[in-house]
Amino acid sequence: MIQIAYKREKCIGCNYCIELAPDRWRMNKKDGRSVLLGSRNKKGFYTVEVNDVEYEANKISAQVCPMKIIRINRLNK
Amino acid sequence: MKNRTIEIMSPAGSWESLQAAIQGGANSIYFGIEQLNMRARSSNNFTLKDLVEIAELCNKKNIKTYITLNTIIYDHDLILMKKIVDTAKKAGITAIIASDQAVINYTASINMEVHISTQTNVTNLETIRFFAHFADVIILSRELSLIQVKEITKEIEKQQIKGPSGNLIRIEIFVHGALCMAVSGKCYMSLHTANSSANRGACMQNCRKTYVVTDKEDGHQFDINNEYIMSPKDLCAIGFLDQVLDSGSNILKIEGRGRSPEYVKTTTQCYREAADAYLEGTYNKEKVKGWMSRLKTVYNRGFWDGYYLGQKMGEWAEIHGSKATKKKIYLGKAKKYFAKIQVAEFDLETQKLKEGDNILITGRTTGIIETIAGEIRINDKRVEDVNKGDKFSMKLNHKVHPNDKLYKVTNIQ
Repeated sequence: MIQIAYKREKCIGCNYCIELAPDRWRMNKKDGRSVLLGSRNKKGFYTVEVNDVEYEANKISAQVCPMKIIRINRLNK
Repeated sequence: MKNRTIEIMSPAGSWESLQAAIQGGANSIYFGIEQLNMRARSSNNFTLKDLVEIAELCNKKNIKTYITLNTIIYDHDLILMKKIVDTAKKAGITAIIASDQAVINYTASINMEVHISTQTNVTNLETIRFFAHFADVIILSRELSLIQVKEITKEIEKQQIKGPSGNLIRIEIFVHGALCMAVSGKCYMSLHTANSSANRGACMQNCRKTYVVTDKEDGHQFDINNEYIMSPKDLCAIGFLDQVLDSGSNILKIEGRGRSPEYVKTTTQCYREAADAYLEGTYNKEKVKGWMSRLKTVYNRGFWDGYYLGQKMGEWAEIHGSKATKKKIYLGKAKKYFAKIQVAEFDLETQKLKEGDNILITGRTTGIIETIAGEIRINDKRVEDVNKGDKFSMKLNHKVHPNDKLYKVTNIQ
């Protein structure tokens, strides 16, 4: 399993994460910021635990995010 | 010169800077809301909720308020963009500074004042005639010379080019602050190297670094003249502000939403004084010297004339970061203020402070206070200096608020 964490309030809506990992990210057209699908919000940090197969795409999303607000952690489960 | 008013427009990247701009005597301020502005990364942008408070505060003091909504806009930004414009109009914000046609068109369509951003790169009269359908103020491209600016303002008057308000188009120009290597800020470098688009407000400022050129055949590397070849010095027009104002522009913009409140206050004060001196006919070299030495105390990469006086190329910054002659060192936070006896309580979290030190206090409501440390006491006993961890009180003629930040100001050798 991996955990994806996302600090949403800093998002500038560049759309990269959505283009690179479309299964996990969507654009919220109301406020122009990305949504991490399936995530829970805890004080502004959105997190979701997903299967390893999503690692590669989301790792690249995290790398190219201009605001560096996406973190991918491998979970020992 | 009678009846001529000159507007000094100051950057407000935070509540502290906003207050500093007011204290410095700004006639207008500009700031970003949410993420759709050119400083989405580097300044603490305001949110939609702040709009009413900003408008009320500034309207009371007769200060105009402009929202920078000048990034490139994608389809998924349209709803937020419209929401910002609608909320701004309702809150009583003066105008929207826009560069994308979507923003220009929408703002004009709801009868709100539009200013055309320098990002639009307006360099000629016909383009001004085009934008006059939408906008009352046009911020010219930063690459024009003053001769070109003068020609434009003269023709606007002669040909009576008017904006939606029915008044003649007003021309705004930059007088102080950062310039970049790209024409009017339209830069691809940050996106190309770091995936971080300058045109979405996320400029990584990689032009401000030094680079080496590598010979691919033999691997030899060359420093390029030890200069920051892509990093221009900062624009400073105070030394020829008479010529700037002779060009017919009445709105002078100071760059720096990513800068500190003391930068905002000092630059605003100097340009306000210079513009007033011009109007009174007392603008002279001696005064310029004074303003220059004050401007040098706050953030700058060294100064040059920009492109206004024509050909003078190759004015590259010699350093990374600031050449300011003063720096501030964080000391701690204010706890309480006793207005009757004019004493403030502080927590010294780091460093040390002694009576007579130059200090700086900034805060959301306080704005900025620059003064000298007065009598210092710990537990009501007078002491010469205080150290990290001390709770102390200090004589202070200005009101401070809890959590205001206290700094020591020192000269840089």
